Amino acid sequence: MSSETDDIPEAETEYQHDEDGGPDPEKHCGHGRGGMGEGVKRKEDKRFITGRGNYVDDIKKPGMLHCEIVRSPHAHARINEIDTSRAMEVDGVVAVLTAEDLAAHELATMPTLMDDTQDVLVNDKVKFQSQEVAAVIAEDRYVAKDGAEKVAVDYEVLDPVVTAEDALEADAPLIRDELDDQEDNHIFDWDVGDKEATDKVFEAADVTVSEQMEYQRLHPAPIETCGCVTDWDPGKDKITVHLTSQAPHAHRTLFSQVSGIPEHKVRIVSPDIGGGFGNKVPIYPGYVVAAAASVVLERPVKWMEERSENIQTTGFARDYDMTGELAATEDGIIKGVRTDVLANHGAYNAVAQPSKFPAGFFNIFTGSYDVEAAYGSLTAAFTNTAPGGVAYRCSFRVTEAVYLIERMVKVLAQELDMDPAEIRRRNFIQPEQFPYESATGWNYDSGDYEKALDKALEMADYDHYREEQRRRIENDADKLIGIGISSFTEVVGAGPGKSCDIAGIEMFDSADIRVNPTGNAVLRVGVQTQGQGHETTFAQIVAEELGMDVENITVEHGDTDTDPYGLGTYGSRSTPVAGAATAVAARKVRDKAKSIAANELEAAEEDIEWDRGSGEFHVAGAPDRSLTITEIAASAYMNHPGSEEPGLEAVNYYDPPEMTYPFGSYIVVVEVDRETGEVDFERFVAVDDCGNRINPMVIEGQIHGGLAQGIGTAMMEHVTYDENGNCTGGDFMNYLLPTANEIPNFETGYTVTPSPHHPIGAKGVGESPTVGSPPAIVNAVVDAMAHAGTTHVEMPMTPDRVWENLAEAGLERDPAETVVFDPVGGDEGEPADD
Amino acid sequence: MNFEGEFELDEVPPEKAWVVLSDPIAVRNSLKGCQYITPMDDEFGWDTYELEEDVETLPEADAEVVAARAFRERQEYAALMQVGVGSVKPKFETTVTIDERDEEEFVMTATGSGSASGSSFSMESGMHIHPQEDGDGSRIEWWTEADISGRIAQLGGRVINPVANKIVNNFFSDIEAQMTDIEDTDSGVTDRIRGMFG
Repeated sequence: MSSETDDIPEAETEYQHDEDGGPDPEKHCGHGRGGMGEGVKRKEDKRFITGRGNYVDDIKKPGMLHCEIVRSPHAHARINEIDTSRAMEVDGVVAVLTAEDLAAHELATMPTLMDDTQDVLVNDKVKFQSQEVAAVIAEDRYVAKDGAEKVAVDYEVLDPVVTAEDALEADAPLIRDELDDQEDNHIFDWDVGDKEATDKVFEAADVTVSEQMEYQRLHPAPIETCGCVTDWDPGKDKITVHLTSQAPHAHRTLFSQVSGIPEHKVRIVSPDIGGGFGNKVPIYPGYVVAAAASVVLERPVKWMEERSENIQTTGFARDYDMTGELAATEDGIIKGVRTDVLANHGAYNAVAQPSKFPAGFFNIFTGSYDVEAAYGSLTAAFTNTAPGGVAYRCSFRVTEAVYLIERMVKVLAQELDMDPAEIRRRNFIQPEQFPYESATGWNYDSGDYEKALDKALEMADYDHYREEQRRRIENDADKLIGIGISSFTEVVGAGPGKSCDIAGIEMFDSADIRVNPTGNAVLRVGVQTQGQGHETTFAQIVAEELGMDVENITVEHGDTDTDPYGLGTYGSRSTPVAGAATAVAARKVRDKAKSIAANELEAAEEDIEWDRGSGEFHVAGAPDRSLTITEIAASAYMNHPGSEEPGLEAVNYYDPPEMTYPFGSYIVVVEVDRETGEVDFERFVAVDDCGNRINPMVIEGQIHGGLAQGIGTAMMEHVTYDENGNCTGGDFMNYLLPTANEIPNFETGYTVTPSPHHPIGAKGVGESPTVGSPPAIVNAVVDAMAHAGTTHVEMPMTPDRVWENLAEAGLERDPAETVVFDPVGGDEGEPADD
Repeated sequence: MNFEGEFELDEVPPEKAWVVLSDPIAVRNSLKGCQYITPMDDEFGWDTYELEEDVETLPEADAEVVAARAFRERQEYAALMQVGVGSVKPKFETTVTIDERDEEEFVMTATGSGSASGSSFSMESGMHIHPQEDGDGSRIEWWTEADISGRIAQLGGRVINPVANKIVNNFFSDIEAQMTDIEDTDSGVTDRIRGMFG
């Protein structure tokens, strides 16, 4: 095949689904071989549910040492002296490392993904609580901990600053005083859109609304924390790093650059990963320390975080303080969007997003709406908090953008006293407008927003709950009903090499298919699963494209010595990019298979047709003269045509021509208790459109998990700090994750609007629910109090916060006014005689 | 964080309270979780210090011994203190310096700091023993200003305050028991010890 772009038009014609998006065998989809659209059971689950997974912490090597990191109890402090002598006396301690030791190997600092420089171990000044100060390497994990206790650090405590707002005050303590040209805590200003045009739209508008909202600091909090086993082989001058990595190849390149070890002497193995959610994209100091220790001591070294270390020091997410504004006509037509953001980046600029996008894809903040003009500005600041800004189950700040626009639409609906469903309908980008260029420069691929909203409204029985809401208000009921809608659009699948790179490396991805002589195949991909089900869904793409049974395909990933180079899994990019690479590589194999079939069937190659339904190759007009892929695989090795090389394999590196734009409509119905501030979910309806669907069951699982995390975001999770920079939300006692108790029954639905430029018309879905659900939930709670004037409730909407908002609106109900539970009291309460 | 309070000891005159509160061993015995308080001299080492067992306090102890080991102004002391806060039970290696001892007004102030298991604190504390206004006992006023960092501070005031209050309450009820153990006839002993202070 000549070039990848030649394959793109195929996407429009090859796959068809029925009206509801299900697999349709009549229209070349769902042939019972486990191809596109079939709910194949996950291949990886056998080992997970039988306890045979292999995670980093399961890895044990002979002679392996353990690394424990000594962390600062202070958020801002100068280090006068580190005394390691008592730690070295602990029986079993092999080494204690400080910045000085690392400096001897030029490893005292490391680059962040945003070209800042972070201390691996603190050189001079601690900049956030729990920052890495020293490392103890010992024979045993417990001994390492005992040793860490004995490292004496003399700190000179400095005043910390923990919020972006305070950090930008003129008299704020300077955090990054080691940087020559840094005179304050300001990192950068960024803006997007046409300010002048937007201001004009606002001046001319009938109605403008404004709301301030905070997207609080969250942590991805994967159940498996970050860690590694580093193993330097002095015989081969090669280091193998078993790493909790969402992007093994990118990490290999960075490891090589930081350590000076040539890249072909670095092997990164990312084994089974217990959740990543963006947390396992950056490189952390612990990895570098463990690698340095392994090289120096010539023994394997394991470093594995504890829970609190994970939450308090590794990449957090969000922490955007946003102001949103809409300009509209009296009948609810949105003319302009304006937003201003104050971003807390922590002590280093270590956000994990494509380097040309300092605010990620936040500029998708016009959402699903056809808006004339938009302008956004953002200021980022250093603070004495952990560095981060990772895309927590999110495509680089899309979550913040969607929250902003979906909240603002609700605010506008209230201002105009319009139904929030109706106002959305009036502003949606219409199906015929695609491809649509947004006011902030995005090129939306496809969408049918109203269809998804209508489906969600119907599923949720919207009119019934509006009626019930009115009835409860009229009756002054103890529990109020609120209905929240979010009709979100995401931008995922980063991304085209011309605009998207991580540390300079373009964000393509790759697939390598090798069909064996016996007709089964191995697919290797450059992305790395953390629970998404790649071993199943990518096999389904191959099954579909080659007419093989899904059982006969093994997917491998996570080992840089054997897999093709890729940028990894985050930002819902695996299906849009590596999924495309897989389809294109499979089609290359198919082309070669045609040539082999022609040889075997003694026909001209152009007379060989492939039938998607049967999965067989046959001579045009003679369906009986056919071969299966298994027969062709045998021929490829045993009787290959002279015109071709032996073997049957293909590689594709796929540079996506554009991003993909999944969307959906979520409707949440809540009951708010006026007495306690508790919020109960009555209904939770999620209609998603991720284009063509590979595995509906895997998609549904993704949606369920993401909705749970959306509920955590809206109701429970917050990494908090006190004014001294102590992280008061840094463990599972204080950072609350949702459990089965907090999760309602989800009702999922879907529509299908294929991406026109993607080889299989898919868009990516893993992050839609975390992105789309928080605004729906907040809109629902606000909606319950809207009749009393409430326009916003901050997340997390804990009962006490909801109660405060109820009280501000005059809706709170004093517990004393309600009937006291009294099972016996009163004449009527007397138990009757038998 | 600031902690402060007052205790009344009905049976114990200020002079006697002063002597007992000047004895590091008596203080150690009343302070739950405190394993030792000892002068930080050249011989002291955190890993090498050997705890003396069954050290006598008043009334059994020898007056000269009690006077000799009493807190001294500007002396630095090492204290090993284990505090359980929630699930965290760090052993704090603490250094305390007695900044002031006023033998006339019965005022003692101290500064200290300690660290353990990713937690650290620094504090300024003091106490002032007043004669009881309507009795022969004493009224002890005490205060502490503490800066707490790290793991314990992360638990927040709602967890720390009850623990601090419990330690202080236990301390004063225990020290009161120690003081009342010293019979009236022994008041000569406490006077003698006071004479030997400084």
